[in-house]
Amino acid sequence: MASTAVEVIYRGIFQKTLAGTLVKTLVLAAHREGKIGTAMSRYGDSPERNGIPAKQFAVIADSQDELEESLAKYEPKATDVSICLDDNMCKGIESWSWYGVQPINALVKPGGLLIVTSLRTPDLLLRHIHWRDQPYRIAIVKAEASLGGLWVYRDDHTDMRLLGAVARLAPQVVGLDALVQSLHEKGLADQPYAGDTEGDARAWAPRQAAGQQPIPVGQTKLESMQQAYEAATDRPVAPGEGVEGNRLTFEKPGWKDMRIGVVVDAPKPGVDASIEVFKKWSTRTKRPVVNFDTCIECDLCWLHCPDECFVPTPEGVYDVKYESCCGCGVCEEVCPVDRCIVMVDEIEFTDLESPYQKWKRGEPLVAPASGGGAKYGAAAADGNTGNAEDRG
Amino acid sequence: MAVLEQWRGVKAIPDIEYFASGHRTCQGCESVLVMRYIAKAAGPRTIVTGTTGCMYVANTSYYSTPWTIPWMHSQLGAAGSSAMGTAAGLKALMRKGKIKDEPINVIAFCGDGGGADMGLSAISAALTHEDYNLLMVLYDNESYANTDIQLSGSTPWGAVTTFSPAGTKHRIMHRRWKKNTPGLLAAGHSGQSKFIGTACASYGLDFMNKVRRALSAGGPTFLHTLDPCPKGWHYDPELSHEIGSLAVETGIWPLYEVNEGKLSFTGPTRNILLGRAKRKPVREYLAKQGRFAHFTDEDYDYFQRKVDDMWEHWMIPGVVAFEMDPRDASLLQK
Amino acid sequence: MAVAKTSKTAANVPQSQEELISGSEAVAQALRLADVDVISAYPIRPYDTVMQYVSKLIADGRLDCEFIVAESEHSQFEIVKHACSVGARAFCGSSGVGWMYAMECLAVTPSLRLPYLAICGNRALDDPGAFGTEHNDAMCVRDLGWMLYWVETAQEALDMTLIGYRAAEDQRLSLPCALCLDGAFLTHSAQIVSVPPQDLVNSYLPRFDLGDRVLHPDNPISIAPQANEDWLMEIRKQMDAAMRRAPEVIREAHGEFHRAFGRQGGSPFIEEYMTDDAETVLVGMGTMASPVRVMVRKLRAQGEKVGFVRVKWFRPFGTDEIRTSLQRFKAVGVVDRDFSLGAADMGGVLYNDVRATMYDAQRRPVISGFIAGLGGREIEEKDVLEMFRRTQQAGADGRGGEVTWIGVRE
Repeated sequence: MASTAVEVIYRGIFQKTLAGTLVKTLVLAAHREGKIGTAMSRYGDSPERNGIPAKQFAVIADSQDELEESLAKYEPKATDVSICLDDNMCKGIESWSWYGVQPINALVKPGGLLIVTSLRTPDLLLRHIHWRDQPYRIAIVKAEASLGGLWVYRDDHTDMRLLGAVARLAPQVVGLDALVQSLHEKGLADQPYAGDTEGDARAWAPRQAAGQQPIPVGQTKLESMQQAYEAATDRPVAPGEGVEGNRLTFEKPGWKDMRIGVVVDAPKPGVDASIEVFKKWSTRTKRPVVNFDTCIECDLCWLHCPDECFVPTPEGVYDVKYESCCGCGVCEEVCPVDRCIVMVDEIEFTDLESPYQKWKRGEPLVAPASGGGAKYGAAAADGNTGNAEDRG
Repeated sequence: MAVLEQWRGVKAIPDIEYFASGHRTCQGCESVLVMRYIAKAAGPRTIVTGTTGCMYVANTSYYSTPWTIPWMHSQLGAAGSSAMGTAAGLKALMRKGKIKDEPINVIAFCGDGGGADMGLSAISAALTHEDYNLLMVLYDNESYANTDIQLSGSTPWGAVTTFSPAGTKHRIMHRRWKKNTPGLLAAGHSGQSKFIGTACASYGLDFMNKVRRALSAGGPTFLHTLDPCPKGWHYDPELSHEIGSLAVETGIWPLYEVNEGKLSFTGPTRNILLGRAKRKPVREYLAKQGRFAHFTDEDYDYFQRKVDDMWEHWMIPGVVAFEMDPRDASLLQK
Repeated sequence: MAVAKTSKTAANVPQSQEELISGSEAVAQALRLADVDVISAYPIRPYDTVMQYVSKLIADGRLDCEFIVAESEHSQFEIVKHACSVGARAFCGSSGVGWMYAMECLAVTPSLRLPYLAICGNRALDDPGAFGTEHNDAMCVRDLGWMLYWVETAQEALDMTLIGYRAAEDQRLSLPCALCLDGAFLTHSAQIVSVPPQDLVNSYLPRFDLGDRVLHPDNPISIAPQANEDWLMEIRKQMDAAMRRAPEVIREAHGEFHRAFGRQGGSPFIEEYMTDDAETVLVGMGTMASPVRVMVRKLRAQGEKVGFVRVKWFRPFGTDEIRTSLQRFKAVGVVDRDFSLGAADMGGVLYNDVRATMYDAQRRPVISGFIAGLGGREIEEKDVLEMFRRTQQAGADGRGGEVTWIGVRE
């Protein structure tokens, strides 16, 4: 193969360092194999927004001429490997700067590989991933969405485990030997795992419940990579497997139809004033689930929501307009009632339906976590039971 | 100018939004809340101009806009001049009978880069034009946040930005104390401007009522808001509201206004001044933010001393950054 | 200034007044006649003479407008840009480095399609603190969607202010327009100017109407949201389409003006002088026309077939007119009062635009280039003579492409 491409899809800013480490390590290691490559971030995502999906790429070629076919472009047309660093983005990628949803597997070549860091199963993720008309493969690296390398978050070896999986499942990109050599040259091979969270045991419980093997304190980066290499498996995804999902696209008008003077029409004011052409379908990390029965109508969620998700109702409680929410969690933080607002992983849901309407109809608001482990089970156990997945 | 009554309590705030949802800012963005509050407080008979910055790039992405009221981009240093041009245009057209004579609010917003750095001279100039009714809002997230967090004249001492990383040789790269923009404008322009004040979106009602007071005051007015920025300040987005509160409760960001030449403090700042509340240690605020993660005890102490100075030695606590020479002070008393 | 005499018209028809005024004062008079709503000023020589006359007109109650003395050129141009956005007819101006200080605001205005009028009192870009005329300041906006006209006389300054507003505000264009006035020669010397009556101007220049792009609470729009690569090319293409329409709109505006006022007939783009049987012509812009015409007459008296072509509108460039005109001649010398260091053949801006225009002409003249009159240096008759001689020689040799600096000490 003349050239290979890897994309890393991540949460802007939060996982920027991790994504950068991955693409740069791949390019440098491939160089050890005599190849040449480039690492780049998608300019359209720059400047990155906290938590909003973004991409970086590694393109690796046998020669400079072949590499040139991938230069001066914003993103490759097709990838050998697409890596998704937060399984909530399996619903699709929405950049802050353009319109529409790009399926998480949109760029994966026929027979190519989608790797997701997740504590959920491939089957569950495929209930959110758009179907393709070509076969490809999916692999899971058991992990929560990693913040390793961000601010003061400690290294959790997610980068090493992903690199090991790439070397095993997509050796045409880069082989294990080159990666090992690269780690040694960078002086990283022997760096030990120091435990990535305070109170490790508590943090590990849900991960272990979901099948992630604990990383012993002291395990080196090299060992983490090699273990992941050994353990990596993939599952074929047949054409048509997946969901229709939301394939929001946006027809861009031509210059004759655009208003002159860079003028756009204003949306209408109102209690739920919204921009019609830009909604958030998959941007959220989590969404607020409101226990309307315990709401004391203090208005604080409504007052402090930066995204204007909370819409007044005749009852005095606030409905949630999920299409506006990017999942910051300020509402949960300012709510004075214990567990009245709980942030739940976006992937636990398959619709954007009004929770107020559901509540009026007596329907449960949140599904029990079918693949996500104990972390969010507690939210469901509060009475908001039911299975969003089954309704999807 | 418009006369906008004060809202007494959160329940009195109207439900209607003039800044639509569906914008493209970061998770937990407080500056976008500032935009929402401005629009809500000013209402539909308003024209807004906005300089380049996060609230331009991330909010108004072409082919869509969150502004239900007329809005226009202005250049980075042009909050003052865009407000003046808009107000002057309206005034001339109304006086000459070319459009209906009616109160229309004119509001220009800018970030700390556009306002406290580049656009300060235009803001200062606008504050001298007593003939024009306009409000300039400086939303201060303490860095050039849109361009990926470079330090500005409003970045606090010691903070890590992409232009002031903590290094192995220089732990503290940014060694300038934050510019006291509202204080310098209040001290210099309160004779011409009927409202110059500060606010923080953590205190939404106080915030919106200040906007309404400023717009009702008439003439050129100025409001400086402190907006916690999870992207630039390195904290979990859900803490935005809490960090804004801490900035006020630690005394780092005093809430006040100079209205028709009279200074009054508001919110928790007033309680601190009246002795009803104690200033929290600055460490409670700083330690929650990754941009200060490299601070040593010595750094925290230095920061605390500087804030203590604001309260204990400034001629007017938190506002006027100097004191009288004791000899002259005693002369004046005679 | 003092009234010289009254033009002869029927008693009941409003009459034009003849006055001895400078180009700057002529512009100010035109602003009064155009009932401009907002003007922003900041001092820099030589353009600011306009603002001195404007402020006097306001002080005496002859012009009703908001007059904002800004604290910088950047603010000056932002003020009028935003005043224009709410539907006010606006005016601004600057010179030299002041124009450059406003460059950011000048650059964004054409994409916003806000048609205010500015004057650029051409001035050298100091350092070293030069005040004299040089065209490089205005040239800096030549690619950006500004319409640019180089004025020669005070009368033309008045007329073009009115024509400029009419063309710029035409909904088919809606582009900003700058009149370029050679510093000193136009801004600081008085000529007899016919100042038309208000009624006549009112019938020529309609009220400014931005239509559905006016920023007002009754018309909630957003102007200039941030655009990425998905959009900008279309926005630029719209500007290009407007500029492509500009020649037609300009011809209409001049034609109507000629019918109403009896001036500014002929081609809006070029003005030919003694070219009918000419073999060699010089081409230039602005006040250099006077010394060139003087020399043309002297050479004609000696039987030499020489002429002059003055370029008036520089943006849009009168491509068709210039091509049709210049292909009749054997040799052409282009005089630039600007420099474009390192450009093709080290030539000036006008020189290379003319050469590009003539590349596809049916017959190409031999074209020589000259850099002259920089920093306000006078272009003297001997300089013009030298340029004619060099142009004639190049024609005789059949070799163009040489660019010569004229009147510079060795």
